[in-house]
Amino acid sequence: MTNERGGIVVEGVARSFGSVQAVRDIDFEAPPGEVTALIGPNGSGKTTLMLMMASLLAPDRGTVRVAGFDPVTQPAQVRSRVGWMPDTLGVWESLTALEVLTTIGALYGMGAADRSRRAEELLVAVNLTEFGRRPARVLSRGQQQRLSLARALIHDPEVLLLDEPASGLDPGSRVELRSLLRSLAAGGKTVVVSSHVLSELDEIADRAVFVSRGQSVKSQTLDEAGSQMRRYYVQAEPMSALAAALQSYGVRYETRGDSRREEFLVQLGSTAEASWLLRTLVLGDVVVTAFAPAGGALEETYMSLDTDRR
Amino acid sequence: MSTATEPSTPQPVRSTTGLTFWSAVRTVFSLEMRQRLRGKGWYWMLGIWFVVIGFIFVLATGVLGTTDNEGGILFDLVVGFVLLFGLLIAPGLSANAVNGDRAGGTLAILQVTLLTPGQLLTGKWLASWVGSLAFLVLSCPFIFWALALGGVNAQEAIVSLLMLAVELGVVCAIGVGVSALANRPLFSIVSTYMLVALLAIGTVIVFGLSTTLVMEERTMTTSYYTYPESSLDATGTPDPGAEMECVTQTSQGMIPRTEYIAWLLAANPFVVVADAVPYSVEDLPELDPATDAAGLPQGGPYYTPGIMETISQGVRAAQAGPDVEQSCEELAESLRPLPQETPIWPLGLGLQLLLAGVLLLIGRRRLTMPAKRLAQGTRIA
Ligand SMILES: Nc1ncnc2c1ncn2[C@@H]1O[C@H](COP(=O)(O)OP(=O)(O)O)[C@@H](O)[C@H]1O
Ligand SMILES: [Mg+2]
Repeated sequence: MTNERGGIVVEGVARSFGSVQAVRDIDFEAPPGEVTALIGPNGSGKTTLMLMMASLLAPDRGTVRVAGFDPVTQPAQVRSRVGWMPDTLGVWESLTALEVLTTIGALYGMGAADRSRRAEELLVAVNLTEFGRRPARVLSRGQQQRLSLARALIHDPEVLLLDEPASGLDPGSRVELRSLLRSLAAGGKTVVVSSHVLSELDEIADRAVFVSRGQSVKSQTLDEAGSQMRRYYVQAEPMSALAAALQSYGVRYETRGDSRREEFLVQLGSTAEASWLLRTLVLGDVVVTAFAPAGGALEETYMSLDTDRR
Repeated sequence: MSTATEPSTPQPVRSTTGLTFWSAVRTVFSLEMRQRLRGKGWYWMLGIWFVVIGFIFVLATGVLGTTDNEGGILFDLVVGFVLLFGLLIAPGLSANAVNGDRAGGTLAILQVTLLTPGQLLTGKWLASWVGSLAFLVLSCPFIFWALALGGVNAQEAIVSLLMLAVELGVVCAIGVGVSALANRPLFSIVSTYMLVALLAIGTVIVFGLSTTLVMEERTMTTSYYTYPESSLDATGTPDPGAEMECVTQTSQGMIPRTEYIAWLLAANPFVVVADAVPYSVEDLPELDPATDAAGLPQGGPYYTPGIMETISQGVRAAQAGPDVEQSCEELAESLRPLPQETPIWPLGLGLQLLLAGVLLLIGRRRLTMPAKRLAQGTRIA
């Protein structure tokens, strides 16, 4: 799956800050050519893990291999191969977007012609061409986010570590981000995306690693996630008829409390089961007004993990 | 499954880094300079600086109008003020260099590139030094004006400017070092000011206090000119036409042996500059052996040293220690500037460089990633 030269392998990593145990024990694997999602509630140690993979933070315990190199003993090797997009946005007040990119390119040892060509290309890729010559500080949050992504890509890294790249992006930019990441993965890059916007990861990621309280609790591929038990919500007019029908088919349901309108949640094992239920309800003259998965596949896993969010 | 469990270390597939030391330093330098040149703060500081120096210069020119050594005194004054204000400005330009980036979230972005901490610190230091040298350049009109008035030789002027530049560089290095160590810009700027104050004022205070430690009971011979007892009338005013005579007196007393503690002054920036400058003692007119009515050398107003030269003389006097046997002949000599015996500035500059170097080295360790220990309450990102 992960060969010697590519991808990321993290084993039994721990890191604490004073008395705070940010990462207790994380196993993580991101093969090349795939987008791996790192999912966990706030404060679960996603950023800390990313920092350790980006060679900025030394783990207390465990091993990290990025593109086959150890970030602690071979940081330069790792850095030349890793593009890192932090979740905090740092801007040089008076530099233009283009200058930000060429400066970072220079610090990766790229030649002058090389880096300005690449910077122009990336501005096109992230849709910031018209802002290339304006000071970076006037960019909106979403635009800065895209600039930050372009910066992470300037040296054409093998491994891309993106810490919450989608937060602050408008729907259009999210779609673009998705296709950009997919094309990078298709080109053989290792892409790691941390996020808590789960619905989005469904479409971007090939696999997901769930972390909670500094521990990796589950790792699955999206295909696995898709074929597991899922919850569907159902609405009908009137709801009482739906309740009676469900009871008569022996389908267990619960009333969803977190929505504006009353709706029932049912657990269904597969899509076949779902289509059976929908057809049966409609044929049984229940006026079904809504029938849909309650959340994305990853959200389903996330909720089922029973991790207490802090 | 993966075989990467064993600590495998493949050979680099491509050449690791095309980043040479100087191209990295140049990139950091131009990053810093571009931000400085495009901001407003630096220009405001330059403008205020120019006005203040100009004001002091014009004021001094008015006051000194009649002194014979006008050029020398004015030149010294400008050098002194440039040093004083430089010591105030250089920390402001340098002491938030690194932690300002950390606060702005840009430090980690630089650290994740191939840039090494040494290159980062060098670039930041060069940028703040060049930034503060601009203040020196801006004072040049006044410096040249003073030089045009005469009385200052080229060597003196060149060494003065050179030492000013060096001192600004040292303060910038201290500032950059502190900024790599301290978490908050405000804290590091204040700390740098404290260190500069320690050098500029602290050394003098310590020197002053230490004189009590080197007090020695000595028999002293002092000489002075006075009117003979006989020529004084009842009210104590001398008769007209009475001649002064030299009286030599011997007394017991506690005197500070400053020659033991003069080195304490060495690290003072003012001392370093003043001591390094070769003030033209030799050019002074030979003392007329004939003395005037008061028994003092003839030739009108005495040579008046400028501010920096006075400091230089003070340090030399401290180095020489008190003269326990002063004869009447020496009395006349004592009006002449003291020549330099042992230069003290190499020691002072050495101490300053040591301080700056230690700070930069610790700062470099602090910036080396991956970080093992983080200062409490700081995040990398
Ligand atoms: N530098 C630090 N010093 C102290 N505590 C930290 C530091 N960095 C992270 N933490 C703590 O570690 C935990 C994990 O943080 P983080 O990795 O940023 O979480 P996430 O990115 O998943 O939201 C949090 O409880 C956070 O407060
Ligand atoms: Mg985070």
